[in-house]
Parts: sequence; structure tokens; C-alpha cells
Amino acid sequence: MSESPGRQSFYGPADATVDYARDLGDPGQFPYTRGRRAPSAAAGSGWIHRELSGEGDPRRSNGQLHRLLADGALGVDVIGDNPTQSALDPDHPMCEAAVGTTGVSICRARDFVELLEGIPLDRITLSHSLPAAFAIAGQHLAATELGFDPTVLRGSAIQGPLYTEDCSYAMFLPFDIRMRLSLDSIMFSLKHMPRFHPYLEDTYFISDGGLDAVEEMALGFVQLREITRQLLGRGVPIDAFAPRIAMLVNCRMDIFEEIAKIRATRRLYARMMRDEFGARDERSCSVNIAVHTSGLTLTAAQPANNIARGAIQGLAMALAGVQGLEISTFDEPFRTPSAEAHQVGLRTQQIIHLEAGAGRVADPLGGSWYVESLTDELETRIDELVRQIEARGDAAELVDSGFFRSIFHAGMDRHSRQVHSGELAVVGVNCHTIPPAEDQLLRDEAEERFPADHAHVERIRAWRATRDKDALAQILDEVSAATTGGDDLMGPIRSALAGEASIGEITGALRMGVGHPADPFARSSAPGRS
Amino acid sequence: MPADAADSRVRGRVIIGTMGLDQHEVGALAVSRMLARHGFEVLYLGRFNTPAGLAGAAVEEDADVVGVSVHSWEYDAYVDELVTRCHEAGTGVVLGGSVLTEADRVALPLRGIDAVFGAYATEGEIIPAIDALVARRRSGALWPGGEPDPLVLRDRVVVITGAARGLGRAYTTEAVRLGARVIANDIDADELAQIAGEAVTTVDADVSTPAGARAVVDAALESTGRLDGVVSNAGALRSGSILKVSPEDVDHVLGVHVRATFLLAQAAGRHWRAEATEGRAPGATLVTTTSSAGLYGFRGEAAYSAAKAAVAAFTIVAADEFARFGVTVNGVAPVARTRLTAWMGAPGSDDPADDPLDPSHVAPFVCWLLGPAARQVSGRVFEIGDGSVSVATGWTPGEPETLPAHHDAAQVDAIMRRLVARAHPPHPILTPQLPTEP
Repeated sequence: MSESPGRQSFYGPADATVDYARDLGDPGQFPYTRGRRAPSAAAGSGWIHRELSGEGDPRRSNGQLHRLLADGALGVDVIGDNPTQSALDPDHPMCEAAVGTTGVSICRARDFVELLEGIPLDRITLSHSLPAAFAIAGQHLAATELGFDPTVLRGSAIQGPLYTEDCSYAMFLPFDIRMRLSLDSIMFSLKHMPRFHPYLEDTYFISDGGLDAVEEMALGFVQLREITRQLLGRGVPIDAFAPRIAMLVNCRMDIFEEIAKIRATRRLYARMMRDEFGARDERSCSVNIAVHTSGLTLTAAQPANNIARGAIQGLAMALAGVQGLEISTFDEPFRTPSAEAHQVGLRTQQIIHLEAGAGRVADPLGGSWYVESLTDELETRIDELVRQIEARGDAAELVDSGFFRSIFHAGMDRHSRQVHSGELAVVGVNCHTIPPAEDQLLRDEAEERFPADHAHVERIRAWRATRDKDALAQILDEVSAATTGGDDLMGPIRSALAGEASIGEITGALRMGVGHPADPFARSSAPGRS
Repeated sequence: MPADAADSRVRGRVIIGTMGLDQHEVGALAVSRMLARHGFEVLYLGRFNTPAGLAGAAVEEDADVVGVSVHSWEYDAYVDELVTRCHEAGTGVVLGGSVLTEADRVALPLRGIDAVFGAYATEGEIIPAIDALVARRRSGALWPGGEPDPLVLRDRVVVITGAARGLGRAYTTEAVRLGARVIANDIDADELAQIAGEAVTTVDADVSTPAGARAVVDAALESTGRLDGVVSNAGALRSGSILKVSPEDVDHVLGVHVRATFLLAQAAGRHWRAEATEGRAPGATLVTTTSSAGLYGFRGEAAYSAAKAAVAAFTIVAADEFARFGVTVNGVAPVARTRLTAWMGAPGSDDPADDPLDPSHVAPFVCWLLGPAARQVSGRVFEIGDGSVSVATGWTPGEPETLPAHHDAAQVDAIMRRLVARAHPPHPILTPQLPTEP
């Protein structure tokens, strides 16, 4: 969609014609190309070290979180298993085989409490890759129960109303409900969890099928701009919510392009917020960017090589001045991270930070003719692609017409062809391969599997029967009813969770409210309303 | 669309999708486009498919192959149903995805998957495999309808030890009848010579020695280049109470049963592992021979009982170890009238069919274990004969008592008394009586 002009063999002063004050500025100064802020005694140096976590039931995941924090993690990121990501309960017949295998199983308020028990929520950031409205409501309830004032909560929740049905995790909800869930949960958080980032624009999960860096950020900006316009349309002033936006981006192996992408994104974002949306608060213009290094760049062949890839990507992102980092671990081609892989991921970050000293000096690559040239190029190409997509029409129509889906599919196909043709070198896959019999280093560790958590399924089944049916039917009716007007959805959702409805039941109620079957697989017509 | 019309236009029709809640589509889409570029007609079903849905679509669309892309090991729960449904639908079925390991590439074909592709499988790997499946289906060779081949062991090469008489001889006869080539082994060369024939190669060797065990395996590989099954059947008895049995007899009994089984498993296992490493999943089977004496104890047969108990435990461990190269291991505990069970006396009838203790009644079950129907069965022990067959379920942990941090003699006494009182009574020891007699 946007052709790279190709790279020169070297770069010189003529290639980097930046105006320092206009295009760069010192770290912490508009347009924030060089960083959101400079390292300081007050803010410290470095970034939030964290690793993607979540497996089995909430208690098992809680153990994981404690181990990670004991190993020096400075934040946590929790992902749900496939059913949880799709807002389906673990005892749904389609889900049982997947419970807990690719993330944590969460379907009720108590699960959030069990997940977060003993975690110092007032001191660390809690990011989640879970359906955002439920995660924000669940986190709010759990924090209160665990004795924390929700106003101290920090972290982020992924909002992806434009793309969620088209890549990776479907919730079987129509676009307008998805958008309302995003807007309502953002507004809920602004009011009740003012230090939390309720809108994380996650370009990682949309891009790791094979989009390039320009497509990744362009689609990210398209969604970010749409949600921003919607919030403004609801009368929320830009400076009331823009400081609470964050981004989670991808990092592939072309590390100079990725570094330039981060710098270009900060500049583009700052100019957009100030010039287009009229932001005045400097925190509205300096976007918080975290990174998840690309799982797609990691290989099932010779898994130990993935540690080297993660270290290179992590170093690049430290040099780019990100606020948070998750390194995809060596076992990523096979599973969500094992305890050993978690530790290697964290140690890699600690080595980059403490031994190599990355992060002590902001934007150490600033002024490199190559990096500045590339930053300009990426900014221009991302911006052009955003304009092209927006010129095609209304975002909702583009979603419904399958336009975005076609971009994702084309990216996946292109990536696969580039690997097969050798155009994209992948060591151990299309060059420097070894026979399977010799490929044993970390093989057993990477391939270790554990079974689906059937005991948790039984626990949920037993729990269901303990609830008051009439009360449950009433709170679910309230969720359904809220969908018909333009009412806030977060209030009823939070009440339903607090009233022991499951996430699957609440989502079913949302679907019924808009005339869809409660169960997307039509195995039961109305969960919780037998 | 009629199959003929479809055949004339496209290289093959392939259904592609992901299964269950496994939602990542990158592999499914990449392979779909690859196949389309090569002239296949691809019906892309996207996410959230079930085995029934995929097979149903295959029937409706007259597809040649169903391909499922997997991104998590959730697939494992669906594989067997997927294979069954695709068989019924008459289509080939393949899996692909980076989570599929070399071990999966060995194990999944044994569960009926026609081809398995790992991460970044190339066009050179995928296209010929799909072409071959399409050709097999269109020639009717893939899951052909009608009666199954009655010769379930056709062309299989099987080693049977202790083949000169009794059960081993019955196994040999039945395996040959079902189409197998048998390498028949015994230490009794004269008796063994009587069963040599076109489908039976005889090897006179002592399999309780490494050279003897290697000789029978080598005989299979030298004559045919393959080895599909081993039945470790040779046995010997040295009766006597524990106080009377000589150390030499103990060694002899353990040698014939335990050591020979071990050595045969090693000799065959090395070949099978080499095959698997080369990407040729052998789909082979080891059948060990234990005994009800080994499972429950037999009065006056301590040495024999101990040896057979060892074989039963060996069977479980071998099943676990050999699974990684696609080999199944099961044990049989036969009940039959042989030289070792002379106390059973003479048969009541001259017609073996009327004698429930004739070895010929055990043989079909052992041959079933050697055949394709048993390729998902491993680590089991079957008691076969005297009019019944069952799966022995072995030792299982009893209900435990949690020990206090510190326990004195009185507590130990109380705990042990409670445990014994609560435990199931042991299976009674066997005695030399025919099980059917009152």
C-alpha cells in the first residue's frame, strides 16, 4: 500500500534536513520526537520492564505475577486465553479444550480478585490484553475488594473497536456496540481511575500477522483518530482524555526502521493533537509508547536464536525511548511464556538497562543522518496512508465492507511469500538451517505443553448453580436494555459483574439487546436465563 | 458439483480454516493463497470451525482435502473427531502450524492425519503432499468405501518369539492368515523348522542375549527392510516355593521374560527411532507378554510372578518412551493351555474351537494389537482367554492420609490401622485351578 523508497548504502547531511526546533526539540519538548521526557532524578531512567503473562486459572496466573515481580518486573501484562479474549465462559462447549492454555481464564468478578491478590496495585502498572470494558470493570471491583483506592490504579487497557473482529480475537459484537463499549469504558476510567490509561492503541496485535511498520501505525492512527473524534463528539474536552491515551506497538527485526517508527509516531501524534484536535496540555501531545517485540519474527527452528532476536529488539526499543517493554520470549512460536522464558525475557531487559546503560541518555541516535532521514520518511508515509484510508469514507463503513480485513489478509500473504522467496531473511528458516535431529537446544523447554484446565471448568459449573437465578436474570435484562438507547453500558456491566453474572452471560445479554443470538455458536439461546 | 466436473477444471479442492477458539489466521490465509496460486480451488472457512462443520463443508463442496491451521495446542482435543469425520466424508485431512513439533509430525499421522506441516512449510513441501492426497482420493485409494481389507496385516513384517509352539505358534498362524510376513524365533530349532514357509522366516536364537535379540530384528530388516511389530512371547517356567527355587532358576526366568523383552525392545527401538528421525514414522507396535501371575501373584510361582510383574511395568514405561517415535507398546496376559500351563490338563474337546483355553482364541486379539485399528492404543495390558477379554487396570493409589509435621509411634500406628481398615482388600492370589471351575 505504501512503497518504501529503499535504503541507501550510507547517509549524509543532505539526507537529514531537519529543523531542530521544529522537527525534533529536546526530549520532553514539542514535538517530542526525541522522547516523551528526558531521564531525570525524579522520573528515573529506563522503562517499565514487563513480560506477557497469564496461564491456567486466575490463581495459577497470580503465582506467575508474583514470580515475575520477584524477578524484578516493574509492571505486569496479563492476556486472557482464547475463550476469555472472545468474552466466552470456560464451560462453553466450544471453549473447554482451550481453557488456560494460551492465557488466563477469566469470566467473573472473583477471578479478577484471585488474579490480583497480593499484587501491589498502588506501586506497579497493570496492563491487560483482555476485553477492555470487562477488564476495567473487573479491575475496579477487584481493587476495591483488595483494599486499594481505584484512583491510584495505573496501567492500560487495549481498545480496538475497529479491528477486533478481523484479527485474532472476535467478540461477535456489532461495530457500534464495540465502539460504545470502548467509549463508555474510557469515560468510566477517566472518572473513577484517573491515573489509568483506559485507551491503549494496540498496534501490535493488528500488525503481527504481517503488516509492515507503515501499515501498522497508519491503521493505529486511523483508529486513534476515530475514537478521539467520537469522544470529542460526546463533549469530552481533548485535554481531559488525551493524556490518558497510550500506544503499544510492534518491533520487528529491521531495528532502524522500528526506532524511526517510534520517533515518527511521537512527532506525528504531537502535531495531530495540537494542530488538528486543539490540545493545549503538553501531556496530551506527548504519547506514552510501550512495545511488545514481534512474535512473528521468532522461529520454531532453533528456538535459542529467539533470545538473540529479543535482545536486539529490546535494545533498539530502549534506544528509541519507550515507556514500557515486553520481549516476546524464546518459546513464543509454541506457547505463551514458560517460567524459564519469563526470566530470560526479564534478565534480557535488565542487562540492556543496567549493564549496557541504555536509557541513561535520551534519544542517543538523534542526529544520526540515517535515523533522522528514516524518521522523516516514516512520518510522511504513515501520514499519507492515514489520509488515503480516511478518504475512503466512514470508519464504520470500512469495517463493514471488509476493507481492513483485506489489508490484514494481504499483509499475512505478503509476509509468507517474502519468507518463502528468501526476500526476508529468517535465519534457521530460509537460510542457515540445520536438520531437526540437531535442533535440540532449548527444544524441550520451548515445546513443553500443559493440559487445558478442566478443573477450573468444573469450578465454574459448580459456581453457576449457587447464584440467585431471578436476581441474575434481572441484572442481565438491564444490560440488554442499556443497548437499545444510547445509555452508558459500563454502569450495567459493572453492576452485572458485581452481581455475579459471568462475562459470557453479560456479552450474551449485549448481543440479545441488539437482536443477535446470545450464544454466537448457538449452543444455548440465553445463558443465565434458563 | 459432480466430482468429474470439478476434476476437469481444478487441480484439487481444498477446505481451509482454523478450529475451535484457535483464532490466528495468518497460517491459514498464507496457505490458502499459496494453494490458489498453484491452481487449487480453495474454500476458506475462516475461524471457529468444528470437525463436523469442516467435514460437512467437504461433503457439500466435494472437497479433496480439509486443511486446518493450528496456533495453539487446543487442536489436540479435536484431532480424533476430525479424522473420523473426514474419513466418513471421504476427504484427506492435513494440519499445519508453528506449534506442531517434530514429535507431532510423527504422532499425528498415526492418529490418521494425512500430512503435517510445521512453521514456514515451503511450497515444495505442501504442494506435492496435497497433489498426492488429491490423486489418492480421486483414484478411490483414500479411505475407499465398501468392505475394509480383510488382510489387516497385509505386507506387515512382524517378529514373534517363542513361535515354535503354543501361543507363539498360534500368533504366527493368525498373523500369516491376515497377510503378515513373520520372523518366527525360538530356541527349539527342530520344532521351529516345522513352521517355516513362504511367509515365515525362522531364526533359531536365544533372545535373552543381545546377539540373539539383534539377530531376529536384523532378520526382519535384511529380508524386507522393515519392521512393523514385535511380539515378545518366549517364556519359561521354574516352579517352586520361594525357599526352594534356586538362584540359577531365578536368573533363568528373569532372563527369558524380563531381559529378553528389554533386549528386543532395544534392538527394535533403535531401528524405529532412526526411522522417525528420518521423517518416516514407522507406526510400529511392540506387544509384550505378561501374565495374571504377574498382575495378581500365583501361588508357588514367585519367580515367574515377579518376572511377569516386571514385564507389566516395563510395558508402561516403554509405551511412554516409544511414543515419541510413533511406536505403541501394549501387554497381553494370555490364559491358554500351553506347555507352561500343563496343570490345566487335557482339553475336553478335540476341536480347538470348542476349547476356550486353546491358544487360537488369543491370537486374533494379539493380531488386532499389531494392526492399524490399534494405533491409538498404547500402554495397556489386556487379559485374554478362557472365554473373556479385559483391560487390567493395575496398581492405583489409595486414598491418602496427610501426615502431621511431627508424628510419634502412636500416630503412625493409628494411621496405618485406619488405612488398612479403609483400603480395598487385595485381589486374591491365584491358585492352580481353572478359573471357570467352581
